[in-house]
Amino acid sequence: MTAEVAPQPHAHAPTGEGYLTHERGLKSWLFTLDHKRIGLMYLGSVLLAFLLGGIMALLVRAELLFPGETLMEADTYNQVFTLHGAIMVFLFIIPSIPAALGNFFLPIMLGTKDVAFPRLNLGSFYIYCLGAIVAIVAIVIGHVDTGWTFYTPYSARADSSVIWMTSGAFILGFSSILTGVNFIATVHKMRAPGLHWKRLPLFIWGMYATSVIQVLATPVLAITLFLLMMEKTLTVGIFDPALGGDPVLFQHFFWFYSHPAVYIMILPGMAIVNEVIATFSHRKIFGYMFVAMSSISLALVGFLVWGHHMFTAGMSEYATMVFSALTFLVAIPSGVKVFNWVATLYQGSISFKSPMLYSLGFIALFTIGGLTGLFLGILSVDIHLHDTYFVVAHFHYVMVGGTVFGFVSGLHYWWPKMTGKMYSEKLARVAFVFVFVGFNVTFFSQFVLGSQGMPRRYYDYLDQFQPLHMTSSGGAFILGFGFLIMLFMFVKSLVSGEKAPPNPWSSAGYEWMTTTPIHPHNFAEPPVMTRGPYDYHLCTEEELFPGFPEDFKPSEKAAKA
Amino acid sequence: MDENNLPEGTLQLPPQWSTLAPEVDEMYYFIYWVSVAFTVVIFAAMIYFMWKYRRRPGLKAKPTGHSTALEIGWTFAPLILLVVLFHQGFTGYVRGAVAPEDSIEVRVRGMQWNWEFEHRGGVIDDLNYLRVPVNTPVRLIMSSSDVLHSFFVPAFRVKRDVVPGMYSTLWFEATQETPDIQCESDADCPEGLWCGNTPPGGEARECVLPIFCAEYCGAPRGITASAFDEGGRNTNHSTMMGDLKVITQAEYDEFIELGPPPPASCQGRDDINECWGEQIHQSYCVACHSVDGATQAPAPNWKGLFGNQRQFVDGSSATADENYIRQSILQPQSQIVQGYNNVNMPPFRFSDRQLDAIIAYMRSLNE
Ligand code: HEC
Ligand code: HEM
Ligand SMILES: [Cu+2]
Ligand SMILES: [Cu+2]
Repeated sequence: MTAEVAPQPHAHAPTGEGYLTHERGLKSWLFTLDHKRIGLMYLGSVLLAFLLGGIMALLVRAELLFPGETLMEADTYNQVFTLHGAIMVFLFIIPSIPAALGNFFLPIMLGTKDVAFPRLNLGSFYIYCLGAIVAIVAIVIGHVDTGWTFYTPYSARADSSVIWMTSGAFILGFSSILTGVNFIATVHKMRAPGLHWKRLPLFIWGMYATSVIQVLATPVLAITLFLLMMEKTLTVGIFDPALGGDPVLFQHFFWFYSHPAVYIMILPGMAIVNEVIATFSHRKIFGYMFVAMSSISLALVGFLVWGHHMFTAGMSEYATMVFSALTFLVAIPSGVKVFNWVATLYQGSISFKSPMLYSLGFIALFTIGGLTGLFLGILSVDIHLHDTYFVVAHFHYVMVGGTVFGFVSGLHYWWPKMTGKMYSEKLARVAFVFVFVGFNVTFFSQFVLGSQGMPRRYYDYLDQFQPLHMTSSGGAFILGFGFLIMLFMFVKSLVSGEKAPPNPWSSAGYEWMTTTPIHPHNFAEPPVMTRGPYDYHLCTEEELFPGFPEDFKPSEKAAKA
Repeated sequence: MDENNLPEGTLQLPPQWSTLAPEVDEMYYFIYWVSVAFTVVIFAAMIYFMWKYRRRPGLKAKPTGHSTALEIGWTFAPLILLVVLFHQGFTGYVRGAVAPEDSIEVRVRGMQWNWEFEHRGGVIDDLNYLRVPVNTPVRLIMSSSDVLHSFFVPAFRVKRDVVPGMYSTLWFEATQETPDIQCESDADCPEGLWCGNTPPGGEARECVLPIFCAEYCGAPRGITASAFDEGGRNTNHSTMMGDLKVITQAEYDEFIELGPPPPASCQGRDDINECWGEQIHQSYCVACHSVDGATQAPAPNWKGLFGNQRQFVDGSSATADENYIRQSILQPQSQIVQGYNNVNMPPFRFSDRQLDAIIAYMRSLNE
């Protein structure tokens, strides 16, 4: 095992030269095979997508401040919400954690030098870029107004730029598949000596489960979008009844990918929360194996519930019954995770640094998101709630309150390791307050809108819904402001942040064992793992607090007190 | 129709207006309280631990133990609850899915962006206007002529997608008549009602239950979508709304016999028929027929049509009298006017009163 991962002698990387500075120039980035640099390039791209999608979201919310026309026409509005959804899902959330943070930290946490196939890794980044460009060109020159779900026959009859948009998503899918294959191979083959499966960091378990879904489900998306393109270019009747096709078939295809895809989105968020909770409570996650296995079972059961998006679409009563029953099953592993996280806090030593705030926020918001999923799994209740703002609120609680909070938590958590700089904790907390409050104001009001009967994707609405719509829009601006503070805080850190110590949070995690700035080969010496990543009781103070300002060491403080 | 005795909604759910609604709401509130309980317990534990075990000098984390019993417990205990939820939800759903034997049927056609309702005996109601009798199960048989739509009445707690290329069905039984209230905006209406679509040409609107289209169906390109256009036709997905009026059985029977009554805005006028005919033209015919004698349209202009000599593609001819007009509307394919054989006019089944109104309107165009 060690033989294949043993790093070459690093004569060209003198001590102290980190991966960011040991080679310079544009070419050293564009052609890099270093998973860390590829991870950073992904990070830049997904953040850009997040910014774009966020602007679209604010436009949507601004239009909905008042009934009737506020800013734009119905047709423009439909394009804006479509872009918001498609950009956020395909360009931001799906690649966000795995491709950016996963790429960066998966090999480090495995104690190895790189992913199994570094060239493939760079390739998947360029495929992502190509897909993103195709999608954005479609947006700029075309007229895409189908919603991110591309339901037929509307999409089959819409403007031809829909083909370009779906081609973009099709290409992005390949990027996702390749990253998944790469991670699976890396986890199986490249773990450091001593790193057996029971010691695997939970972040890796999460990435592994995600990769399995990416590899198995994404091809179905590709097939679906391909069929859609065939239908449009060759007018073969597949989904369009006017050509003899079946529009409901498209929904089956689409959700067969897109429900598993919601687990592509949430599992990485949960994976980060595991790491952060452990670090900031100084404790191994309670029920480690149950948590790891719940990720795997979510990945598997997630494949069997796609029909719950189609309860009103006209499936047989039997199919409906089966899908409803299976939907309740996915609640079990989700619940197991929440219970175990809370149990981890018990008897811990809890520090409330900004990464932890976001992870605690995750637990709270995911709890609400998951429980409202149960409302939607109950058949008779879903009939009323389907395609209303209730569903919009549900999936934002899990996707923003869950995945985005997890992503942001990870970004704060690993920022010092990635950039070598600390950030202003004070500004980070201020941003957290705005983000947390803004988020809840925005989306909690949408639960009520939805249960009162406000349908989704509406440009105009009845007067009775106006107060709640206005509340929701107000929240969105608070939320946006919070993200602006965060942006400022990170930029300030890059420009004038203090130098980060190797282990600023005193974590036992493997990724904190290496130097900051990170060695180009991750570890100067290939590590041998002699303890688990959460074995705080086996760590010495030297391991937990290297470079830690004296005052912060708990034992020092205790001695003084 | 006591206006003071209307069903009231709650903070979370709109007023209950069907036999199905109480059952759905009961389930909703059950899961709601279950969720509240879970949330409170989880949040309380979290906040307590966060406070109790906050990092401070002298406090060291205890190594994590493990308790298989606890893990198994909280994996399987929720299962019991979930089985209950599933079972209740499913039985409720089945009740909502199977219409009673004695239901009356209404045919619903969804099209971008309007609803058309056809009742027993081929009685077509005003566009986007559905009348149903109270305390009678009604079964809707729905189809779409273009893209997906979804028929949604929050007050009834029913929703069903309307799919091109197949029929979908839905049933409900309304429990209360809608009060007769004229309105100018939604604010004039009791909770749960809206101030319905503007009838063609007229200002008189009334409070009715809203029918929404819940499945996204787009908007026309580049047309400014003021909520409702002149002819009472809706112009995009978000305004694809219908008016639902619950009436007494007697009123419904009269409606089936005589067809829809003249619109409120025409009632009491001397030219009631001409007024009504104009509105029918605006709702159903304006897409093909113009009335000003000038514009190019896919179908014959109505100005000067009545009493005129018509030439047909088969070489025959006839005078456009009352019978001819009637025939042309009910069975448009029986005689095809020369020069117009590339567009097919769909058959319309209007009541005698409506046909009279159309003819009166056509005659008035000649004056
Ligand atoms: C889809 C387009 C279309 C719509 C909608 C339509 N028509 Fe027509 N109509 C036609 C065409 C085309 C013709 C000429 C061919 C024929 O006689 O069938 C026609 C012919 C007629 C004629 C005979 C005219 C003549 O020149 O002799 C009458 C009367 C008529 N329509 C009434 C109506 C009424 C009333 C409505 C609305 C309720 C209506 N049509 C809606 C397309 C339409
Ligand atoms: C506890 C587990 C969950 C349950 C029981 C659940 C249940 C459901 C159900 C039944 C629907 C369909 C509602 C409808 O359209 O009528 C739905 C929609 C949705 N859920 Fe969940 N869900 C859960 C967790 C999640 C998670 C973790 C995510 C993503 C991170 C997610 C994302 C979504 C999305 C994106 C939609 C709607 C998509 C659309 O229509 O555009 N859900 N959920
Ligand atoms: Cu789903
Ligand atoms: Cu519609």
